[in-house]
Amino acid sequence: MSTSSVCSHFVKGKAVILVPGLLALTAVPVWARHIEKHFKVEAHPVVTIHNPSGIITIKAWTKQEVMVMSDQNSDAVEVEADQANNRVDITTHQISETASPDDTRADYQVNVPEDAELQIHDDSGAVNVANVLGDMNVETIGAGVGMADTAGYTTVSTVNGSFQCLRCAGRLEVRSISGNIRLDDTRSSDVLAQTSTGNIIFNGQYLPNGSYRLKNYSGAIEVRFSPADSFDLSATSLKGKVNNELKLDPSHRGFLPKIGNSLVGALNAGRARVELSSFNGTINILKRN
Amino acid sequence: MSTMNCSDFLTHIDEWIEGQEVPGARDHSRSCSNCRGLAEDLGTIRLAAVTLPETDEEPSPRIWASIRAQLEQEGLIRTGYARPVRQSSGWFDSIFSFVPRPALATAYVGLLAVAGFALTGPVHLRSDQDGWREGTQRSTAELNAQLGDAEKTVMASLATFSPAVTADLRQNLSIVDNDIALCEKSVQESPESEIARDYLYDAYQQKANLLAQISEHGDEGR
Repeated sequence: MSTSSVCSHFVKGKAVILVPGLLALTAVPVWARHIEKHFKVEAHPVVTIHNPSGIITIKAWTKQEVMVMSDQNSDAVEVEADQANNRVDITTHQISETASPDDTRADYQVNVPEDAELQIHDDSGAVNVANVLGDMNVETIGAGVGMADTAGYTTVSTVNGSFQCLRCAGRLEVRSISGNIRLDDTRSSDVLAQTSTGNIIFNGQYLPNGSYRLKNYSGAIEVRFSPADSFDLSATSLKGKVNNELKLDPSHRGFLPKIGNSLVGALNAGRARVELSSFNGTINILKRN
Repeated sequence: MSTMNCSDFLTHIDEWIEGQEVPGARDHSRSCSNCRGLAEDLGTIRLAAVTLPETDEEPSPRIWASIRAQLEQEGLIRTGYARPVRQSSGWFDSIFSFVPRPALATAYVGLLAVAGFALTGPVHLRSDQDGWREGTQRSTAELNAQLGDAEKTVMASLATFSPAVTADLRQNLSIVDNDIALCEKSVQESPESEIARDYLYDAYQQKANLLAQISEHGDEGR
Protein backbone atom coordinates (compact mmCIF):
# COMPACT_ATOMS: atom_id res chain seq x y z
CA MET A 1 0.00 0.00 0.00
CA SER A 2 1.46 3.35 -0.93
CA THR A 3 0.51 6.95 -0.65
CA SER A 4 2.00 9.62 -2.84
CA SER A 5 2.00 13.26 -3.65
CA VAL A 6 3.40 14.93 -6.71
CA CYS A 7 3.85 18.59 -7.27
CA SER A 8 5.35 20.55 -10.10
CA HIS A 9 6.05 24.17 -9.54
CA PHE A 10 7.71 27.04 -11.23
CA VAL A 11 10.84 28.23 -9.49
CA LYS A 12 11.44 31.89 -10.03
CA GLY A 13 13.98 32.29 -12.74
CA LYS A 14 17.27 33.72 -11.51
CA ALA A 15 18.89 34.94 -8.37
CA VAL A 16 21.38 37.76 -8.54
CA ILE A 17 23.86 38.13 -5.71
CA LEU A 18 25.94 41.25 -5.49
CA VAL A 19 29.31 40.85 -3.87
CA PRO A 20 31.62 43.85 -3.50
CA GLY A 21 33.75 43.95 -6.60
CA LEU A 22 32.19 40.85 -7.99
CA LEU A 23 28.95 40.12 -9.74
CA ALA A 24 27.85 36.57 -9.31
CA LEU A 25 24.99 35.23 -11.32
CA THR A 26 23.41 32.05 -10.12
CA ALA A 27 20.83 30.31 -12.22
CA VAL A 28 18.47 27.75 -10.75
CA PRO A 29 16.50 25.22 -12.77
CA VAL A 30 13.48 26.69 -14.45
CA TRP A 31 11.28 23.68 -13.73
CA ALA A 32 11.44 21.41 -10.76
CA ARG A 33 9.36 18.40 -9.95
CA HIS A 34 9.02 16.92 -6.50
CA ILE A 35 7.58 13.52 -5.69
CA GLU A 36 6.95 11.95 -2.30
CA LYS A 37 5.74 8.39 -1.81
CA HIS A 38 5.29 6.15 1.23
CA PHE A 39 5.29 2.36 1.23
CA LYS A 40 4.36 0.14 4.16
CA VAL A 41 6.84 -2.73 4.44
CA GLU A 42 7.50 -5.75 6.63
CA ALA A 43 10.74 -6.78 8.31
CA HIS A 44 13.89 -6.87 6.15
CA PRO A 45 12.52 -5.04 3.11
CA VAL A 46 14.61 -4.72 -0.04
CA VAL A 47 15.02 -1.30 -1.60
CA THR A 48 16.52 -0.94 -5.06
CA ILE A 49 17.50 2.37 -6.63
CA HIS A 50 18.63 2.80 -10.19
CA ASN A 51 19.56 6.38 -10.97
CA PRO A 52 21.92 7.48 -13.77
CA SER A 53 22.72 10.82 -12.23
CA GLY A 54 22.07 12.60 -8.96
CA ILE A 55 22.50 12.55 -5.22
CA ILE A 56 20.96 9.67 -3.30
CA THR A 57 20.64 10.08 0.46
CA ILE A 58 19.36 7.16 2.48
CA LYS A 59 18.71 7.23 6.20
CA ALA A 60 17.27 4.69 8.57
CA TRP A 61 14.30 5.60 10.70
CA THR A 62 12.11 3.82 13.22
CA LYS A 63 8.98 3.60 11.05
CA GLN A 64 8.15 0.36 9.28
CA GLU A 65 7.80 2.11 5.96
CA VAL A 66 9.89 3.40 3.09
CA MET A 67 9.59 7.05 2.18
CA VAL A 68 10.84 8.20 -1.20
CA MET A 69 11.29 11.86 -2.00
CA SER A 70 12.68 12.81 -5.38
CA ASP A 71 13.55 16.06 -7.04
CA GLN A 72 14.29 16.37 -10.70
CA ASN A 73 15.48 19.27 -12.77
CA SER A 74 13.32 18.72 -15.80
CA ASP A 75 10.70 16.57 -17.44
CA ALA A 76 13.42 14.80 -19.40
CA VAL A 77 13.35 12.07 -16.78
CA GLU A 78 10.58 10.23 -15.04
CA VAL A 79 10.80 8.84 -11.55
CA GLU A 80 9.14 5.52 -10.90
CA ALA A 81 8.74 4.11 -7.39
CA ASP A 82 6.76 0.92 -7.00
CA GLN A 83 6.29 -1.81 -4.44
CA ALA A 84 6.31 -5.53 -5.12
CA ASN A 85 5.60 -7.47 -1.93
CA ASN A 86 8.38 -6.48 0.48
CA ARG A 87 10.53 -4.81 -2.15
CA VAL A 88 10.47 -1.19 -3.22
CA ASP A 89 11.98 -0.39 -6.62
CA ILE A 90 12.97 3.16 -7.47
CA THR A 91 14.08 3.96 -11.00
CA THR A 92 14.88 7.10 -12.95
CA HIS A 93 13.90 6.73 -16.60
CA GLN A 94 15.26 9.05 -19.24
CA ILE A 95 12.39 9.92 -21.57
CA SER A 96 14.15 12.49 -23.73
CA GLU A 97 17.05 11.40 -25.91
CA THR A 98 18.28 14.96 -26.38
CA ALA A 99 18.29 16.08 -22.76
CA SER A 100 21.42 17.64 -21.35
CA PRO A 101 23.20 15.86 -18.47
CA ASP A 102 21.85 18.43 -16.00
CA ASP A 103 18.32 17.78 -17.13
CA THR A 104 18.59 14.05 -16.54
CA ARG A 105 19.58 14.45 -12.93
CA ALA A 106 17.31 13.29 -10.12
CA ASP A 107 18.07 13.61 -6.42
CA TYR A 108 16.55 11.27 -3.87
CA GLN A 109 16.04 11.23 -0.17
CA VAL A 110 14.91 7.84 1.00
CA ASN A 111 14.06 6.81 4.56
CA VAL A 112 14.06 3.09 5.27
CA PRO A 113 13.68 0.80 8.28
CA GLU A 114 17.00 -0.07 9.95
CA ASP A 115 16.95 -3.66 8.71
CA ALA A 116 16.43 -2.75 5.05
CA GLU A 117 18.59 -4.31 2.37
CA LEU A 118 19.80 -1.83 -0.23
CA GLN A 119 20.79 -2.24 -3.86
CA ILE A 120 21.91 1.05 -5.35
CA HIS A 121 23.17 1.96 -8.81
CA ASP A 122 24.15 5.55 -9.46
CA ASP A 123 26.50 6.46 -12.31
CA SER A 124 27.33 10.01 -11.28
CA GLY A 125 26.52 12.24 -8.36
CA ALA A 126 26.79 10.85 -4.83
CA VAL A 127 25.41 8.11 -2.61
CA ASN A 128 25.13 8.65 1.15
CA VAL A 129 23.85 6.03 3.56
CA ALA A 130 23.45 6.39 7.33
CA ASN A 131 22.36 4.06 10.12
CA VAL A 132 21.19 1.23 7.88
CA LEU A 133 21.98 -2.19 9.35
CA GLY A 134 20.96 -4.44 6.45
CA ASP A 135 23.14 -5.72 3.61
CA MET A 136 24.09 -3.26 0.91
CA ASN A 137 25.34 -3.34 -2.64
CA VAL A 138 26.35 -0.04 -4.22
CA GLU A 139 27.64 0.33 -7.77
CA THR A 140 28.70 3.64 -9.23
CA ILE A 141 30.96 5.01 -11.92
CA GLY A 142 31.91 8.52 -10.86
CA ALA A 143 29.60 8.91 -7.90
CA GLY A 144 31.28 9.05 -4.52
CA VAL A 145 29.90 6.82 -1.81
CA GLY A 146 29.71 7.81 1.85
CA MET A 147 28.48 5.62 4.68
CA ALA A 148 28.15 6.09 8.42
CA ASP A 149 27.07 3.73 11.19
CA THR A 150 26.16 0.88 8.87
CA ALA A 151 26.38 -2.77 9.78
CA GLY A 152 25.41 -5.27 7.08
CA TYR A 153 27.48 -7.12 4.52
CA THR A 154 28.46 -4.22 2.28
CA THR A 155 29.85 -4.43 -1.23
CA VAL A 156 30.81 -1.26 -3.06
CA SER A 157 32.12 -0.95 -6.58
CA THR A 158 33.10 2.33 -8.21
CA VAL A 159 35.12 3.28 -11.25
CA ASN A 160 36.51 6.60 -10.10
CA GLY A 161 34.15 7.49 -7.29
CA SER A 162 35.62 7.71 -3.81
CA PHE A 163 34.42 5.68 -0.86
CA GLN A 164 34.34 6.89 2.70
CA CYS A 165 33.05 4.98 5.65
CA LEU A 166 32.66 6.06 9.27
CA ARG A 167 31.96 3.52 12.01
CA CYS A 168 31.00 0.81 9.55
CA ALA A 169 30.58 -2.72 10.85
CA GLY A 170 29.85 -5.97 9.05
CA ARG A 171 31.78 -7.51 6.22
CA LEU A 172 33.05 -4.82 3.88
CA GLU A 173 34.23 -5.23 0.29
CA VAL A 174 35.20 -2.13 -1.67
CA ARG A 175 36.61 -2.13 -5.17
CA SER A 176 37.51 0.83 -7.33
CA ILE A 177 39.83 1.69 -10.20
CA SER A 178 40.86 5.24 -9.42
CA GLY A 179 38.73 6.15 -6.43
CA ASN A 180 40.16 6.77 -2.98
CA ILE A 181 39.03 4.61 -0.09
CA ARG A 182 38.90 5.84 3.47
CA LEU A 183 37.75 3.72 6.40
CA ASP A 184 37.52 5.52 9.74
CA ASP A 185 36.70 3.88 13.05
CA THR A 186 35.67 0.75 11.21
CA ARG A 187 34.32 -2.06 13.42
CA SER A 188 34.37 -4.85 10.90
CA SER A 189 36.01 -8.25 11.19
CA ASP A 190 36.34 -8.66 7.43
CA VAL A 191 37.58 -5.82 5.24
CA LEU A 192 38.69 -6.00 1.63
CA ALA A 193 39.62 -2.71 -0.05
CA GLN A 194 41.12 -2.62 -3.51
CA THR A 195 41.82 0.25 -5.87
CA SER A 196 44.25 0.83 -8.70
CA THR A 197 45.51 4.39 -8.54
CA GLY A 198 43.52 5.48 -5.52
CA ASN A 199 44.75 5.84 -1.96
CA ILE A 200 43.54 3.64 0.87
CA ILE A 201 43.38 4.84 4.45
CA PHE A 202 42.42 2.45 7.23
CA ASN A 203 42.01 3.82 10.71
CA GLY A 204 39.79 1.28 12.36
CA GLN A 205 39.65 -1.51 14.87
CA TYR A 206 41.46 -4.80 14.42
CA LEU A 207 38.99 -7.30 15.81
CA PRO A 208 40.15 -10.73 17.02
CA ASN A 209 40.21 -13.23 14.13
CA GLY A 210 39.49 -10.35 11.79
CA SER A 211 40.87 -10.13 8.26
CA TYR A 212 41.97 -6.81 6.76
CA ARG A 213 43.17 -6.86 3.16
CA LEU A 214 44.13 -3.61 1.47
CA LYS A 215 45.53 -3.64 -2.04
CA ASN A 216 46.34 -1.12 -4.76
CA TYR A 217 48.64 -0.55 -7.72
CA SER A 218 50.07 2.93 -7.47
CA GLY A 219 48.34 4.88 -4.74
CA ALA A 220 49.36 5.09 -1.11
CA ILE A 221 48.16 2.74 1.59
CA GLU A 222 48.04 4.07 5.12
CA VAL A 223 47.06 2.09 8.18
CA ARG A 224 46.95 3.38 11.74
CA PHE A 225 47.48 1.26 14.82
CA SER A 226 47.53 1.55 18.60
CA PRO A 227 50.15 -0.21 20.75
CA ALA A 228 47.45 -2.46 22.22
CA ASP A 229 46.27 -3.72 18.83
CA SER A 230 46.87 -7.35 18.06
CA PHE A 231 47.50 -8.60 14.53
CA ASP A 232 49.74 -10.51 12.19
CA LEU A 233 50.97 -8.15 9.50
CA SER A 234 52.14 -8.75 5.96
CA ALA A 235 53.02 -5.65 3.93
CA THR A 236 54.53 -5.82 0.46
CA SER A 237 55.16 -3.19 -2.18
CA LEU A 238 56.61 -4.77 -5.28
CA LYS A 239 58.20 -1.59 -6.62
CA GLY A 240 57.47 0.96 -3.90
CA LYS A 241 58.35 1.59 -0.26
CA VAL A 242 57.10 0.27 3.03
CA ASN A 243 57.38 2.79 5.89
CA ASN A 244 56.78 1.40 9.33
CA GLU A 245 56.44 2.77 12.86
CA LEU A 246 55.50 -0.63 14.22
CA LYS A 247 57.67 -2.76 16.51
CA LEU A 248 56.94 -6.21 15.24
CA ASP A 249 57.63 -9.51 16.90
CA PRO A 250 60.51 -10.88 14.81
CA SER A 251 59.15 -14.42 15.03
CA HIS A 252 57.06 -13.86 11.96
CA ARG A 253 54.58 -16.40 10.72
CA GLY A 254 55.16 -16.76 7.04
CA PHE A 255 57.59 -16.21 4.22
CA LEU A 256 58.98 -12.97 2.98
CA PRO A 257 58.37 -12.59 -0.76
CA LYS A 258 61.51 -12.91 -2.84
CA ILE A 259 61.07 -9.57 -4.56
CA GLY A 260 59.86 -6.14 -3.55
CA ASN A 261 59.89 -4.42 -0.19
CA SER A 262 58.23 -6.47 2.46
CA LEU A 263 57.49 -6.55 6.12
CA VAL A 264 56.11 -9.52 8.00
CA GLY A 265 55.53 -9.91 11.70
CA ALA A 266 53.15 -9.84 14.62
CA LEU A 267 51.98 -7.13 17.00
CA ASN A 268 51.13 -8.55 20.42
CA ALA A 269 49.32 -11.89 20.13
CA GLY A 270 48.59 -11.48 16.44
CA ARG A 271 44.86 -12.05 16.78
CA ALA A 272 43.84 -10.36 13.53
CA ARG A 273 45.37 -10.72 10.10
CA VAL A 274 46.41 -7.62 8.15
CA GLU A 275 47.58 -7.91 4.53
CA LEU A 276 48.77 -4.79 2.76
CA SER A 277 50.00 -4.97 -0.80
CA SER A 278 50.86 -2.48 -3.47
CA PHE A 279 52.47 -2.78 -6.87
CA ASN A 280 54.47 0.44 -6.87
CA GLY A 281 52.76 2.56 -4.26
CA THR A 282 53.95 3.47 -0.78
CA ILE A 283 52.69 1.66 2.28
CA ASN A 284 52.69 3.64 5.53
CA ILE A 285 52.12 1.85 8.82
CA LEU A 286 51.69 4.60 11.37
CA LYS A 287 50.91 5.05 15.05
CA ARG A 288 47.45 6.31 15.82
CA ASN A 289 47.40 9.81 17.27
CA MET B 1 70.48 -26.01 13.04
CA SER B 2 67.19 -27.53 11.91
CA THR B 3 65.87 -30.41 13.99
CA MET B 4 62.95 -31.13 11.69
CA ASN B 5 63.34 -33.28 8.57
CA CYS B 6 61.40 -33.00 5.32
CA SER B 7 58.95 -35.73 6.29
CA ASP B 8 58.11 -33.96 9.56
CA PHE B 9 57.76 -30.66 7.73
CA LEU B 10 55.30 -32.13 5.22
CA THR B 11 53.28 -33.62 8.07
CA HIS B 12 52.79 -30.17 9.55
CA ILE B 13 52.79 -28.09 6.38
CA ASP B 14 49.05 -27.31 6.61
CA GLU B 15 49.39 -25.76 10.06
CA TRP B 16 52.49 -23.88 8.94
CA ILE B 17 50.74 -22.38 5.92
CA GLU B 18 47.77 -21.45 8.09
CA GLY B 19 50.15 -19.38 10.20
CA GLN B 20 50.27 -21.63 13.23
CA GLU B 21 53.46 -22.00 15.23
CA VAL B 22 55.14 -25.30 14.38
CA PRO B 23 58.34 -25.87 16.35
CA GLY B 24 61.27 -26.32 14.01
CA ALA B 25 59.33 -25.53 10.85
CA ARG B 26 60.86 -22.11 10.37
CA ASP B 27 64.39 -23.38 10.73
CA HIS B 28 63.71 -26.24 8.35
CA SER B 29 62.13 -23.98 5.73
CA ARG B 30 65.16 -21.73 5.85
CA SER B 31 67.55 -24.60 5.30
CA CYS B 32 65.51 -26.65 2.79
CA SER B 33 64.71 -24.91 -0.47
CA ASN B 34 62.42 -27.71 -1.67
CA CYS B 35 60.16 -27.55 1.35
CA ARG B 36 60.24 -23.77 1.33
CA GLY B 37 59.23 -23.72 -2.33
CA LEU B 38 56.44 -26.21 -1.74
CA ALA B 39 55.06 -24.20 1.17
CA GLU B 40 55.19 -21.01 -0.90
CA ASP B 41 53.30 -22.69 -3.71
CA LEU B 42 50.63 -24.07 -1.41
CA GLY B 43 50.31 -20.71 0.28
CA THR B 44 49.78 -19.05 -3.10
CA ILE B 45 47.11 -21.58 -4.05
CA ARG B 46 45.38 -21.09 -0.72
CA LEU B 47 45.41 -17.33 -1.20
CA ALA B 48 44.11 -17.66 -4.76
CA ALA B 49 41.30 -19.93 -3.56
CA VAL B 50 40.29 -17.42 -0.91
CA THR B 51 40.23 -14.54 -3.37
CA LEU B 52 38.37 -16.35 -6.13
CA PRO B 53 35.14 -14.48 -6.75
CA GLU B 54 31.88 -16.12 -5.79
CA THR B 55 29.31 -16.46 -8.52
CA ASP B 56 25.74 -17.57 -8.26
CA GLU B 57 25.53 -18.97 -11.72
CA GLU B 58 27.08 -22.26 -12.67
CA PRO B 59 28.86 -21.87 -16.01
CA SER B 60 27.53 -24.13 -18.71
CA PRO B 61 29.35 -27.39 -19.52
CA ARG B 62 30.33 -25.89 -22.86
CA ILE B 63 32.31 -23.18 -21.09
CA TRP B 64 34.23 -25.71 -19.07
CA ALA B 65 34.82 -27.82 -22.16
CA SER B 66 36.26 -24.84 -23.96
CA ILE B 67 38.47 -23.84 -21.03
CA ARG B 68 39.70 -27.39 -20.65
CA ALA B 69 40.55 -27.57 -24.34
CA GLN B 70 42.58 -24.39 -24.10
CA LEU B 71 44.43 -25.46 -20.96
CA GLU B 72 45.24 -28.79 -22.58
CA GLN B 73 46.48 -27.02 -25.67
CA GLU B 74 48.75 -24.89 -23.52
CA GLY B 75 50.04 -27.93 -21.71
CA LEU B 76 48.85 -26.67 -18.35
CA ILE B 77 46.72 -29.76 -17.74
CA ARG B 78 46.84 -33.26 -19.16
CA THR B 79 44.05 -35.46 -20.42
CA GLY B 80 43.76 -39.16 -21.08
CA TYR B 81 42.38 -38.74 -24.56
CA ALA B 82 42.92 -36.48 -27.50
CA ARG B 83 40.45 -33.63 -27.77
CA PRO B 84 40.08 -31.55 -30.90
CA VAL B 85 40.91 -27.90 -30.32
CA ARG B 86 39.81 -25.11 -32.55
CA GLN B 87 42.89 -23.46 -34.00
CA SER B 88 41.25 -20.69 -35.93
CA SER B 89 39.88 -18.70 -33.05
CA GLY B 90 40.73 -18.04 -29.45
CA TRP B 91 39.02 -19.45 -26.42
CA PHE B 92 37.24 -16.24 -25.50
CA ASP B 93 35.62 -16.26 -28.95
CA SER B 94 34.38 -19.78 -28.58
CA ILE B 95 32.90 -18.96 -25.21
CA PHE B 96 31.40 -15.56 -25.84
CA SER B 97 29.85 -16.64 -29.12
CA PHE B 98 27.09 -18.33 -27.14
CA VAL B 99 27.11 -16.47 -23.86
CA PRO B 100 24.20 -14.01 -23.73
CA ARG B 101 25.26 -10.43 -23.11
CA PRO B 102 23.66 -10.08 -19.65
CA ALA B 103 25.81 -12.98 -18.50
CA LEU B 104 28.97 -11.30 -19.73
CA ALA B 105 30.16 -10.20 -16.31
CA THR B 106 29.83 -13.63 -14.77
CA ALA B 107 31.47 -15.25 -17.75
CA TYR B 108 34.38 -12.83 -17.71
CA VAL B 109 34.96 -13.36 -14.03
CA GLY B 110 34.75 -17.14 -14.31
CA LEU B 111 37.16 -17.21 -17.20
CA LEU B 112 39.63 -14.93 -15.57
CA ALA B 113 39.52 -16.99 -12.42
CA VAL B 114 40.71 -19.96 -14.42
CA ALA B 115 43.18 -17.89 -16.43
CA GLY B 116 44.36 -16.43 -13.16
CA PHE B 117 45.05 -19.85 -11.79
CA ALA B 118 47.10 -20.57 -14.90
CA LEU B 119 49.07 -17.39 -14.21
CA THR B 120 49.48 -17.98 -10.51
CA GLY B 121 49.88 -21.73 -10.53
CA PRO B 122 52.56 -23.68 -8.70
CA VAL B 123 56.05 -22.58 -9.53
CA HIS B 124 57.60 -25.98 -9.38
CA LEU B 125 55.50 -27.42 -12.15
CA ARG B 126 57.86 -25.45 -14.35
CA SER B 127 61.13 -24.88 -12.71
CA ASP B 128 62.93 -22.87 -15.37
CA GLN B 129 62.34 -19.19 -15.91
CA ASP B 130 62.26 -19.50 -19.69
CA GLY B 131 59.44 -21.99 -19.47
CA TRP B 132 57.47 -19.67 -17.26
CA ARG B 133 58.20 -16.70 -19.45
CA GLU B 134 57.10 -18.55 -22.56
CA GLY B 135 53.93 -19.87 -20.96
CA THR B 136 53.02 -16.50 -19.52
CA GLN B 137 53.62 -14.75 -22.82
CA ARG B 138 51.34 -17.17 -24.60
CA SER B 139 48.59 -16.82 -21.99
CA THR B 140 48.79 -13.05 -21.80
CA ALA B 141 48.88 -12.65 -25.56
CA GLU B 142 45.62 -14.60 -25.82
CA LEU B 143 44.04 -12.63 -22.99
CA ASN B 144 45.15 -9.31 -24.44
CA ALA B 145 43.83 -10.17 -27.88
CA GLN B 146 40.47 -11.35 -26.60
CA LEU B 147 40.04 -8.46 -24.18
CA GLY B 148 40.96 -6.13 -27.05
CA ASP B 149 38.22 -7.64 -29.20
CA ALA B 150 35.75 -7.39 -26.35
CA GLU B 151 36.75 -3.77 -25.84
CA LYS B 152 36.00 -2.93 -29.48
CA THR B 153 32.54 -4.43 -29.15
CA VAL B 154 31.80 -2.83 -25.81
CA MET B 155 32.94 0.66 -26.81
CA ALA B 156 29.74 1.11 -28.80
CA SER B 157 27.89 1.03 -25.48
CA LEU B 158 29.72 4.16 -24.35
CA ALA B 159 27.21 6.22 -26.32
CA THR B 160 24.57 5.34 -23.75
CA PHE B 161 26.43 7.25 -21.02
CA SER B 162 26.60 10.98 -20.49
CA PRO B 163 29.71 12.72 -21.93
CA ALA B 164 31.23 13.19 -18.46
CA VAL B 165 30.75 9.55 -17.52
CA THR B 166 32.08 8.46 -20.90
CA ALA B 167 35.23 10.49 -20.28
CA ASP B 168 35.60 8.88 -16.85
CA LEU B 169 35.26 5.41 -18.32
CA ARG B 170 37.80 6.08 -21.06
CA GLN B 171 40.26 7.47 -18.54
CA ASN B 172 39.88 4.47 -16.28
CA LEU B 173 40.24 2.04 -19.15
CA SER B 174 43.57 3.75 -19.82
CA ILE B 175 44.53 3.33 -16.17
CA VAL B 176 43.78 -0.38 -16.28
CA ASP B 177 45.65 -0.77 -19.58
CA ASN B 178 48.62 0.96 -18.02
CA ASP B 179 48.46 -1.38 -15.03
CA ILE B 180 48.40 -4.37 -17.36
CA ALA B 181 51.43 -3.07 -19.26
CA LEU B 182 53.39 -2.46 -16.04
CA CYS B 183 52.50 -5.86 -14.65
CA GLU B 184 53.38 -7.65 -17.87
CA LYS B 185 56.78 -5.98 -17.76
CA SER B 186 57.19 -7.04 -14.16
CA VAL B 187 56.24 -10.63 -14.95
CA GLN B 188 58.69 -10.70 -17.83
CA GLU B 189 61.43 -9.51 -15.49
CA SER B 190 60.51 -11.95 -12.74
CA PRO B 191 58.42 -14.71 -14.30
CA GLU B 192 58.70 -16.90 -11.23
CA SER B 193 57.20 -14.26 -8.94
CA GLU B 194 53.74 -15.26 -7.75
CA ILE B 195 53.08 -11.71 -6.56
CA ALA B 196 53.85 -10.20 -9.96
CA ARG B 197 51.62 -12.74 -11.69
CA ASP B 198 48.90 -12.15 -9.12
CA TYR B 199 48.95 -8.42 -9.88
CA LEU B 200 48.80 -9.12 -13.60
CA TYR B 201 45.81 -11.39 -13.11
CA ASP B 202 44.06 -8.75 -11.00
CA ALA B 203 44.68 -6.12 -13.69
CA TYR B 204 43.11 -8.34 -16.34
CA GLN B 205 40.18 -8.99 -14.06
CA GLN B 206 39.72 -5.25 -13.45
CA LYS B 207 39.59 -4.63 -17.17
CA ALA B 208 37.13 -7.47 -17.73
CA ASN B 209 34.91 -6.18 -14.94
CA LEU B 210 34.99 -2.66 -16.34
CA LEU B 211 34.11 -3.86 -19.85
CA ALA B 212 31.29 -5.96 -18.43
CA GLN B 213 29.97 -2.96 -16.50
CA ILE B 214 29.93 -0.86 -19.67
CA SER B 215 28.34 -3.66 -21.66
CA GLU B 216 25.56 -4.21 -19.12
CA HIS B 217 24.76 -0.51 -19.08
CA GLY B 218 24.50 -0.60 -22.86
CA ASP B 219 22.06 -3.50 -22.64
CA GLU B 220 19.91 -1.61 -20.15
CA GLY B 221 19.91 1.45 -22.35
CA ARG B 222 18.56 -0.46 -25.33
